[in-house]
Amino acid sequence: MNGGHIRATIGDISGKRQSKSTRILLTGATGFLGIHLAQLFIKKGYTLFILARPMDECSPEERVYKLLDWLDPDWNQSRVHIVSGDLNCSDIGLCPADYHQLASSVDEIIHCASDTSFSERKRPQIEKANVENLHHLLDFAANSRCCFFHFISTAYVAGKRRGSCPEALVETQTFFNVYEETKYRAEKTAAKRCREEGMRLNIYRPSIVYGNSCTGKTLRFNAMYYPVKMLVFLKNLYHKNTEEQTSDGAEKMGISFAPDGTAHMPIRIEAAASRGINVIPVDFFTAAFFAIMESAIDGDVFHITNDKITPVSEIINYTQRYFHIKGIQAVRPEDFPSESRNSLEILFGRYTQIYRPYMKDERIFDNGKATAILKATGISCPVFDYRIFSTCMQYAEAANWGNPA
Amino acid sequence: MNPLDHIPEEIRLTAARCRHYAMCKIDYLDTGLCPPAKKTPYVGYFPQGRMDLCDALAKGLIPVTEAAVDIISSCTLCGSCDRQCHFVTGMRPMPVMQALKAFLSDFQKKGKKVAVIAEDKPLKTLKGIVGEKWATNDPAHLIAYANDPFPLAERQMPGYVVLPGNADELVEIVRYADRSHIPIVARGNGGSVFGFVFTRGIVIDVNRMKKIQLDPDNWSAVIEPGVTSFELQKAVTQQGYRVNTAEPAATVCANIVCTGLFSTWANAYGVGADHIVDMTFVDRHGTVFRINDKNAPNVFGFEQAVLPSPGICTEARVRMHPVTDDEEGILVPFTSLADALFFARDISRRRIGLAVGILGGHYLSTFISPTESLAEKTRDIFSGILEMTHVVSVIGDKYARNSIKQMVPCVIESNTLKMLMLGLPRLAGSGWTDIVTGLESDRPAYEAVFSEEMLPLLEQVLAPSPETLAAAVDEELRKFYTKLYSRPHMTDMVWLAMFRIVSARMSRHKHMFAFLIYVPLDRVDVIHDLIASFADIAETHTIDHDLGFITPIDFGKRGILEYDYYIDHTDSRESEKIQQAMKDIEPMIDKLSAATKGVKFLKYIFSQGCARKENFLYT
Ligand SMILES: Cc1cc2nc3c(=O)[nH]c(=O)nc-3n(C[C@H](O)[C@H](O)[C@H](O)COP(=O)(O)OP(=O)(O)OC[C@H]3O[C@@H](n4cnc5c(N)ncnc54)[C@H](O)[C@@H]3O)c2cc1C
Ligand SMILES: NC(=O)c1ccc[n+]([C@@H]2O[C@H](COP(=O)([O-])OP(=O)(O)OC[C@H]3O[C@@H](n4cnc5c(N)ncnc54)[C@H](OP(=O)(O)O)[C@@H]3O)[C@@H](O)[C@H]2O)c1
Ligand code: SF4
Repeated sequence: MNGGHIRATIGDISGKRQSKSTRILLTGATGFLGIHLAQLFIKKGYTLFILARPMDECSPEERVYKLLDWLDPDWNQSRVHIVSGDLNCSDIGLCPADYHQLASSVDEIIHCASDTSFSERKRPQIEKANVENLHHLLDFAANSRCCFFHFISTAYVAGKRRGSCPEALVETQTFFNVYEETKYRAEKTAAKRCREEGMRLNIYRPSIVYGNSCTGKTLRFNAMYYPVKMLVFLKNLYHKNTEEQTSDGAEKMGISFAPDGTAHMPIRIEAAASRGINVIPVDFFTAAFFAIMESAIDGDVFHITNDKITPVSEIINYTQRYFHIKGIQAVRPEDFPSESRNSLEILFGRYTQIYRPYMKDERIFDNGKATAILKATGISCPVFDYRIFSTCMQYAEAANWGNPA
Repeated sequence: MNPLDHIPEEIRLTAARCRHYAMCKIDYLDTGLCPPAKKTPYVGYFPQGRMDLCDALAKGLIPVTEAAVDIISSCTLCGSCDRQCHFVTGMRPMPVMQALKAFLSDFQKKGKKVAVIAEDKPLKTLKGIVGEKWATNDPAHLIAYANDPFPLAERQMPGYVVLPGNADELVEIVRYADRSHIPIVARGNGGSVFGFVFTRGIVIDVNRMKKIQLDPDNWSAVIEPGVTSFELQKAVTQQGYRVNTAEPAATVCANIVCTGLFSTWANAYGVGADHIVDMTFVDRHGTVFRINDKNAPNVFGFEQAVLPSPGICTEARVRMHPVTDDEEGILVPFTSLADALFFARDISRRRIGLAVGILGGHYLSTFISPTESLAEKTRDIFSGILEMTHVVSVIGDKYARNSIKQMVPCVIESNTLKMLMLGLPRLAGSGWTDIVTGLESDRPAYEAVFSEEMLPLLEQVLAPSPETLAAAVDEELRKFYTKLYSRPHMTDMVWLAMFRIVSARMSRHKHMFAFLIYVPLDRVDVIHDLIASFADIAETHTIDHDLGFITPIDFGKRGILEYDYYIDHTDSRESEKIQQAMKDIEPMIDKLSAATKGVKFLKYIFSQGCARKENFLYT
């Protein structure tokens, strides 16, 4: 896919990587996927420059170190350089001397920073983070020794497509939200600029990422976690109030509790019967990312997705089983007219509105290219079964869903 | 109680933190007034005066005098002041009252000599006019008249305090002072700022003059100058009317004369001359006049200058307004000031609603929170999580409220606000805020949270009840707060807007320093610049600051804007900061006022409060 003068040959790139002399600049390392990538590259012995910004009176070092400690208290600091910068600025927040110093030190860039909100109201902020800031980073890349740009995108750049979604840059017009749209625009921006500058480009498109499939560890409790968290919250709230007899709210909502504490919560959740959620664990994402990066040196687009979609009904069953809840049902949209909804359903629907497109997803992500590489390296995506679900929920509960008590 | 040979410093500090808002002079929580003060309304007998006395004795500013002994001995340690003061300031004055008693007990045990202040000629004359009991030159009394809520005014001891019982006595005092060239000042409850109630001469405290007479056929109430807003509102409400009042402890006559009396009700009832049918004054030389007299001095005009007041008002006939039985409050949340401004102006020009005010983040959370720490948390949740940076508070009948509901996507109705108030301590707990934070929507979070179908959930989260609310205060006060908040009016927006008993809470965390400016409400740019200038100046001088409120006036053509600075008035460095900031603020407003029609600094309206509003709003 690269045109123009290619900055480095495949041989140069592989050679450097094999000798671990490739120096990588990583953005987004204070985020969920970014910190996992940081940990991976540190483990693999790469020299890593991490561009991060201070926040809430914490320095970039403090922020990144804290997260690396959380992932692995024994991580090796020797080849990690934290660069305090800001992608919001055209000079990525560096003074000219630091800018040039970094530019002359970087061989490859992994761009993971992104605003992952969906809300249309935040459009200016999302556009800025996902498109404008990318220009700043690409300008830097162009001015640097960077020969390979790795862009973390999303499978959902496919937009409102139904059925097959190719592992390639394709024209797309309509999207479910501003996040999908800006990630799509970012892909195009990166492709054009990299082509012009002779930088190789890999685009990685994960579907929805959850915690570690073995430990349940995660940094975020949004996406797949949020509707579950909401149900657990409702159960606990009504249970407490029923126990304390502070109100008849549970009864009004049709919620009741069996003597063993099992909650009956009559909630129908809209979901297409044949469809479900495409989720992958973060350990699979990082392994897949690394394998693809190592193999695909020419530059290409890859879907890092799950071949087995998890039907919403299955997640509902897992949730009911794990949290001792009954009464939740997945129903087809056509069987769920809005006038027939009870208060609890309206409430749940309102809170989970933004996730609706992902709960009745009709997109099928082609992943032949990625699978070919992953198969060769023995990496496969685990099916999201009850064992993994329970592991994730155990972690979520222990971590109080991300809110230290 | 063990005798104390001195007043401990921490007790003195509590005493020095008195805000001097005179809230202990009105029975706003039905605790009953401080019993000795009820009988003898010198400020010194009120908890506020006792706080000043404590501070002064601790610092050795005054000796233990006969009045000091009487004031301290008269305290019954009933505890009312503890409840009243906690409600607005979060302070507990009881240790001060106990320390005063312990101090006096030690003093008396040791047989120390009580200072007797000799009577001089003016005092004798004053006593001759008002009676033995109602004039004094005892420093234990005078000290209570040497303070006001203005953190910068130097304490100033008057020579005498006199409490006339009627207009004739008051006129006689003025004439005597004029003849003898003794300066005088009238004092309502001393809640004004800038040291307006200070003099080295005679303070005329009008607190014995509290008659109220309603004249329903003329839609007016005739009042004496000692009547407070709270008392008048209570009297007229009982008969099914309403008056426009502001701070509850302010005396109505002083408030009209001093500031023109502005409040959120100014949207419907106006300011300045709009409040009055007639007033009787006695001027500096003792001449009595009615403002409706064709030959009277013209108090309705306005001049852009700092002028003296027309005299002392001895009686006012103030306007009463009709009330309908379907009035309720409604809050309209916004994510930006610009949107809130547009809406407030829009409803004002359409004549929708009665009281209208845009409230900044600090105000709403502070008004509804029983403690400072809860107010802080609430504020963070309101603006950070619910995304409501501003609300427009409206009192209106059902037609007004229905119109508003058609104009905006989200309102907080009075029942929801009640729920919020009674469940506030639970707002932050229970993981609910985390759920709301994750609720990514194309609309502001408050829309989902306050939508009708979500209210049952909110109710579960908050578990609203007087007990829930009381959980936020100290253990010993919980029973009192539970009982207090069992009364429906304590969570009724209409009652709260009329009686304003929570507004003094705005200085609970620190003393407030308010700047008031009339603004052209259609000039969002001017308002933004003005607010930005206030913010910049405050930041430069490292002073806490926030927008207070903005109320539309006269069909939304103009508005009155309050911007607040907050300082610890017991810290001299903080006062110094304000002094420096004032040097930037006054020229900034004067410049803006000269360049922009409709911008008027309240400073120039002080003492011209009887003026027609048109004379300062449109000149
Ligand atoms: C926390 C706080 C909030 C406030 N909010 C508002 C508000 O929303 N709206 C508003 O309008 N004001 C407000 N004020 C200002 C204050 O309420 C007014 O200044 C009011 O006049 C105070 O009443 P008072 O009885 O305490 O007056 P005082 O302080 O006793 O007197 C005020 C002035 O009037 C003179 N005066 C007293 N009695 C008479 C009389 N009978 N005849 C003529 N002159 C007299 C005094 O000499 C003095 O100059 C606020 C003040 C504080 C501290
Ligand atoms: N998580 C998923 O399920 C998923 C699925 C598909 C694709 N992806 C993609 O994976 C990448 C990482 O996602 P994530 O889940 O790890 O996101 P995340 O946890 O929200 O982290 C986002 C990262 O981007 C940075 N960032 C956001 N706005 C920024 C700005 N304006 N300037 C500079 N940095 C900014 C953040 O830095 P601060 O901490 O300083 O704000 C943070 O490091 C994104 O590109 C996303 O599109 C994620
Ligand atoms: S405790 Fe003393 S000062 Fe306080 S209200 Fe009772 S009598 Fe007044």
